[in-house]
Amino acid sequence: MTDTILDKEQKLVQLLEQTFKKLSGKVVRQRRVTVSVEKELVPSVLSYAKSQLGYIHLSHISCVDWPENNNFEIIYILWSPADKVQLFIKTLINRENPEIDNVDMIWKHANTYEREIREMYGIQFNGLVGAQEFILEDWDDMPPMRRDFDTVDYVDNNYTFRPGREDAGDVREEIIKRSGEDIPDFAKKYSRD
Amino acid sequence: MREKATTLYLGPQHPGITGNMMIKLKVEGDTVVKAETHVGYLHRGFEKLMERRNWLQSFTIVCRICVPEPDPNELNYSRAVEEIEGRAVPERAEWIRTMMMELSRLASYLLWFGGQNGSSGLYTMPQWSVGDRDYILDLFEELTGGRVYHMYIWPGGVRRDLPDGFADKVLQTMDYLEKRLKKYDDLMFANTIFQKRAQGIGWIDPKKAVEWGVVGPPLRAAGIKSDVRIDDPYLIYDKLDFEVPTQTGSDVWSRALIRRFEFEQSISMVRQCIEKMPKGEVYNKIPNPMKWTIPAGDAYVKAESARGEFGYYVVSDGSDKPRRVHVKGPAYVHGVTLLERILVGANIADVSFIMNSLGTCPPEIER
Repeated sequence: MTDTILDKEQKLVQLLEQTFKKLSGKVVRQRRVTVSVEKELVPSVLSYAKSQLGYIHLSHISCVDWPENNNFEIIYILWSPADKVQLFIKTLINRENPEIDNVDMIWKHANTYEREIREMYGIQFNGLVGAQEFILEDWDDMPPMRRDFDTVDYVDNNYTFRPGREDAGDVREEIIKRSGEDIPDFAKKYSRD
Repeated sequence: MREKATTLYLGPQHPGITGNMMIKLKVEGDTVVKAETHVGYLHRGFEKLMERRNWLQSFTIVCRICVPEPDPNELNYSRAVEEIEGRAVPERAEWIRTMMMELSRLASYLLWFGGQNGSSGLYTMPQWSVGDRDYILDLFEELTGGRVYHMYIWPGGVRRDLPDGFADKVLQTMDYLEKRLKKYDDLMFANTIFQKRAQGIGWIDPKKAVEWGVVGPPLRAAGIKSDVRIDDPYLIYDKLDFEVPTQTGSDVWSRALIRRFEFEQSISMVRQCIEKMPKGEVYNKIPNPMKWTIPAGDAYVKAESARGEFGYYVVSDGSDKPRRVHVKGPAYVHGVTLLERILVGANIADVSFIMNSLGTCPPEIER
């Protein structure tokens, strides 16, 4: 890939790095640029990208849990209809006291993403207004999308198995027991033993 | 005299909508003054499930995220994995994938024709269009073995090549659908009742549409020429000849017209795929799936589904399982913040009509 193709992507990184000192960016490929910022800078970078650089469309907000590094990564994905570049703004927040500023005054629909991340990861968005519950109702356990939430453990502690399903046996064996009929030859090869 | 506001719980079942969601409406008389979307009826935890399954096992469940249109899920997941891993896809597979995507768009629009008219009481249309959709499902069945969920587009290419005589069947089906479109015009688009119901309701401000997160047909109906197939080209869309229709009304009627014109474009694209498809391999074999690891990295891929930009954000930590797969369907914005906004001032009878015109799909809001 030649330099001319990645021209606008490189210009974008330069511009952002000049405007915000504590920002580092790189071009991933054509139409994909990623920058990392401190969490305090996120609202400023987002509103600068929206109002000055033409990144008016918020495509996505995602969250990734990295318990081994003791942090959460929040990713804001923006799109510029004019430049046709997808801009990733990534920030790390501490897992012990996870909080970050709310950005739904910049894009209204950020509210939905933030409400979901709040209940799935337990991250507080300062200033977020909106119904507390989005998907989970009356949930008082650990936020379920965290990596250390053990789904099997949760099921074992909260649900009981219906009688008759404990062994999860082969249904054909049960049929033979009840009817006394033999399994036809063509079905035998699928038998578990 | 100002009437007293009453709360009306609409849903969770809606005509023409696959899946469940509830809208809490505050109404004065029969006019909506406030709307609030409540989801939580079908959270199945796909994203958590995928963190516990290896890369190929996760592929088998992604298609189940969205019932009316499972193929963009398969495609996005596969493309994200291929992008992170740097795996090349044979050219013929790219053509077959494009054909699948367009067939899936046709099937999805046929279902939508039914849903949109089912919510206004024109019940002949669902009978016709859902019946016609079955001919496309027959094609899917022959090609992939599954009618609704295909598990066909997978990392590295597609699962198998087209069977003998399949191309002819596709072309015959396209001829049939083209003929049927004229019938749909007579029944739906030339129908004064549908026109009067649809014109001028569910208006989205074109100046704010991009900022509000509107994508796909509703955005093009607002006069903005935006289509992932052109803006961020994927597969072999740059080798196909097609137009992106736009309208200026930004109401339910314009959105219906957009889908009708795109229906023609998709038929033409399927024909072009069959005509220009090169010969060759269709699958770049992956290693033993149980030992298959993907290098650390992340990717956001998007595809133009029948309802708009469908995105997948996939993160790998270098292991044999995804660290995170985050699905963003267009309904995540259309069904929540946008719907809450544009329902204000609408008539109660128009609520499900407007919901349908946005292509609201609750399964992708909750996943």
